[in-house]
This record gives sequence, C-alpha cells and structure tokens, in this order.
Amino acid sequence: MGLFILVTVFVFGLVVGIPVAITLGLSSLSYLLYMGIPAVVMPQKMYAGMDVFVLLSIPGFILAGNLMNQGGITERIIRFANGLVGWIRGGLGLTNVGASMLFGGITGTAVADAASIGGVMIPGMKKAGYPADFSAAVTAASSTVGPIIPPSVPMIIVGALSGISVGKMFLAGAIPGILMGVAMMVTTYLIARKKNFPKQEWQGVAEIGRSFAGAFWALAMTGLILYGLLSGIATPTETAIIASIYAVVIGLFVYRELPLRKIPKIVVESAVAASGILVLVGFANVFGWILVSERIPQMIATAVLSFTDNKFVVILIINILLLLVGMFMETIAALIILFVPLLTLATTVGIDPLHFATFAVLNLMIGLTTPPLGVCLFVCAGIARQPLTPVVIAILPFIATNIIVLLLVSYVPPIATWLPSVLLP
Amino acid sequence: MKRIENIIVTICSIGVGIAFLTLIVAVLIQVLGRTFSSSPVWTEELTRFAMLFTVTFGAGLSLRSGDLVNVDVVCESLPGQWPRRLRLFSAIATFALCVFLIAPAWKYVSIGALQTSAALRLRMDYIHFSVFALLIGIALFALMRIVAMVFYSDDGQPENRTDI
Repeated sequence: MGLFILVTVFVFGLVVGIPVAITLGLSSLSYLLYMGIPAVVMPQKMYAGMDVFVLLSIPGFILAGNLMNQGGITERIIRFANGLVGWIRGGLGLTNVGASMLFGGITGTAVADAASIGGVMIPGMKKAGYPADFSAAVTAASSTVGPIIPPSVPMIIVGALSGISVGKMFLAGAIPGILMGVAMMVTTYLIARKKNFPKQEWQGVAEIGRSFAGAFWALAMTGLILYGLLSGIATPTETAIIASIYAVVIGLFVYRELPLRKIPKIVVESAVAASGILVLVGFANVFGWILVSERIPQMIATAVLSFTDNKFVVILIINILLLLVGMFMETIAALIILFVPLLTLATTVGIDPLHFATFAVLNLMIGLTTPPLGVCLFVCAGIARQPLTPVVIAILPFIATNIIVLLLVSYVPPIATWLPSVLLP
Repeated sequence: MKRIENIIVTICSIGVGIAFLTLIVAVLIQVLGRTFSSSPVWTEELTRFAMLFTVTFGAGLSLRSGDLVNVDVVCESLPGQWPRRLRLFSAIATFALCVFLIAPAWKYVSIGALQTSAALRLRMDYIHFSVFALLIGIALFALMRIVAMVFYSDDGQPENRTDI
C-alpha cells in the first residue's frame, strides 16, 4: 500500500504540473507518513544527496559553458564548421551538425546548443533556401550530442549515482557522441541530395585555417577539461572552475565579446540553474532511498529475469523503457529515478556499469527531441517560427538515425568502454 | 508586493553569488596551494559547504525562474482556466510540502549541534541549517506566486528560464 501511495502521488504530481523535485518530495513524504517513518528522514536524506563530492563540479561546468556562450564563440564555431563541410551538398545542414559537435565539447548542454546555434543557423538556412522545418529539425536533433560529448552534466550525475569516475564517464561519451554527429551528417547529406538542397563554394584551405584560428581558444577549452581530468592533476570540480576562469579570460581579453558587467548576472544564473538540479537531486535521494528500501531494483530485476535472462533482450527492454520515459519526463529527473534500479538489472545480466551508463544517457538525450516533451524541439520550432507538427515530421529521420546509433552503442560495448580503458585503465 | 518580491530576489541573488564565489575561491586556493606547496585541509570542506548554501539561496530563485522543472505538457494543453488553476494548485502544493518539512528540518538542524565538521571544526547545525533555509526559500517563492495569482491576476508562469 505504501508503494501504491508513493507511485500514485508521484504520477499525479507530474500530470498536474508540480515541479518534478517537489513531486518527488510529496510522494516520498506521503509514503513516510503512511509507513509511520519520522519525517526528519527527509531533510537528512536531502542533505546527504546534495553533499556529494562529484556533484560539486556541476555549477562550475554550467558557469564555464555560459561564460563561453556569452563570450562570442557561436559565430566562430559556425564559421569553422562551415569552412570544413559547407561546400558539400546540404552544406549548411552539415555545418549545423558540425557546430553542435564542437559546441558540445564546450558547453555540454543541449538546450544552450539549440538556442545559440539555432539562433544563427536557422535564419541563415532559411535565407539560403532550406525549408524552415528541416532547419529546425536538424538543429534540434544535432543539439543532443552536447550532453554526450564531454563535458556533460548528465554524465556527472551518473558518476555520482554509480561511483564511476567523472573522467571515465566523460571519455565513454566521446566516441558515441562523435558517432552520433557523423551519423546525423550522413542523414543530412542523404536528405540534401534527395531534396537538392544548395551547397556553397569551396572556400579553400586558407579559410579553414583562418576560421580554426578564430575558434581555437574556444575549442581549446575541451582540451583543457579533458587534460585536467585525464592527467589526474585536478578533480572534476577544480577542472570546472579552472575552465570557468579560462572562459572569462578568453571572453574578456581574447575575443573581447564578454562584457564585464554581464559576468555577475551569468554567475548568478548559472548558480540558480545548478540549484534547480541539486534540489532535484536532494528530493530524488529520498525517493531513491525508499525505492531501495522497498527492494524495487531487485523486484525489477527479478520480474525481467523471470521473462528472460538474455543480455541482448534485457538491453532492448531497458532501451525501450528509457525511450518511453524520456518522451514524457525531464532527462535529469528520469536519470536520477531510474538509473539505480536499472543498473541493478543491467549488472545482473553482466552489463558493464560504464557501458550501461553511457547508453542510458544517450537514450535519454533522444527524448529531448521527441514529442510531447522535447525541449530542444520546442526551442528550434520557436526560432524557426514553425508549428510543431512539420518539425516533428522533419526530425523523424534524425530520431531514427540516433536510435540506430543507440543500438550500436548498446550492442557494441567497446564503442563506449574502449577509450576509458585505454586512457584511464 | 512587487517591491517585497524584488527585495527577496535581490537578497537571494546576492546570497547565491557570494556562496558561489566562496566555492570558486576555495577551489582556487586548493589548486594554487597544491601547485606551490600543499593544499590546506579545509578547502574541500569549505567547497562542499559553499555549494550547499549556493543551493539554499538558489532554490527559491530556481522555482521562480522555472529551472525547477515541471512536466507541463498535460496541464498546459487543458482548455480555459484549467492551466492557470493547476499552476495555482502546483504553487500551493509546493508551499504546503516545504512548510510541512520545516519542523522536521529544524529537528535535523538541532541534531547537527552534537557534531562538528572534520576540518573547519564548524558546528554542523550551522551547515544543516542550509536544508532548513532551502525549504523556507522555496516556500517563500511559492507563497509569492500564490499571492500574485490570487490577488494580482498573475498567470503563475515562471520568469525566463536560464536556457542551459
């Protein structure tokens, strides 16, 4: 009965639009009251959930991304990507995907990518003769590589939940992120050929060199973050703060597009965004503790294993479940609630936790572009001033592409685990 | 009403800024200390505590900005006044939860009086207070939303969410 109350209040809260964190709190409190457990457990578990060393890096990475984003990187990255692939048929679509991949190495958040790159690319593509729905669709779809290519807030949270090092998590996302980007470029090219989208003149190696020089300092931040984490000279939190200082220096003195007076606002907004995530983590920790107390992870594992113990089928079941949840639920909330129960199932059938964590994050990112709750889809349709339906239709080939990549990553573990095993044995 | 809200927002923004800057400075001391000799032992602890207080001041603001995300696909697609009614219900539920948890949170704060932190030797009730204040912060911003909706015909929508 306690479990029934927990689930009912949780579903009701989500449906009526109560913030996910508060919904988790309400459902947990209902359970505790029904079971006669003192409510003091809630603040205690919330504190324990937020006071996790790895999570300290979240505000820093958000700040670093925001500072870079406000410091004039968007045009530079787009120009570099355009120099590389703009001459191929459907070049601006390819530029869009390429820019998202490069941008993902700096900010690591999909919505920022969709808004920043979309703000420049969607009007540009429309002007060049690309259909508005396609322009919005390719921007939304490609923005999802952001949280897969390091750095990545969802990867940090998974690290905190599973005990896997953030460095390993970041590395595990690198090849799948690149694979996803390349696959979307292929899809863009095939659509462009079929629909005879325009291409630009080859601008020469010199332009690639010039645009690379312009984007170098922004792109170097990815290298700085990876070096900090992989060399072992800095913790993830230290790396994030050093990246923030680096972003300020580049924005103020190299690109000179980051107004000094804007920095306090960026700091506060980044801290508020991180607070929203951490409050969610705090309340979710209470919810997660109840699930573990009720042995839900074991129950899920037993239920699935009574049906099949075939590893390949279990991977398929996990992916279908996460895709469905990702369609209706906010990514980080879904990750926090489902990760531990599904990890138990995954490890029971012999799936490497690092491999599972990677395909789970990749899977939930696809949810950012699927209706009814695809945040990136809404952002891009808004920029393109298009109703949602044509953009949803235009994005279908990209969703199919991402699902193919997801299946590849799910069934070929080295795609995720090889790089960490080589660089962080 | 708007003036009171502005004062509270300003206080929380200053608080969140100071806490976050403390976190940044503590991390930098840690890095510089380790680079040139050895890190002070208290920096890691100060970083953790600074983050907890960042969340304390930022939690209410995140409700206001919409960074405390919700699933609005069902409620916003309802006809007529229903979306607004549900936003009001949501604010009331948020307020009720946080107010209910204030007494248990205070008890948790009191428990902390019996402990001190390992490095900074701070009484842990000062640190546990972050959770207590966090709940008050969210309750306060939920209450302001309720008042704005009931008495000032506000639509109850969050302010601009930080798009990150």
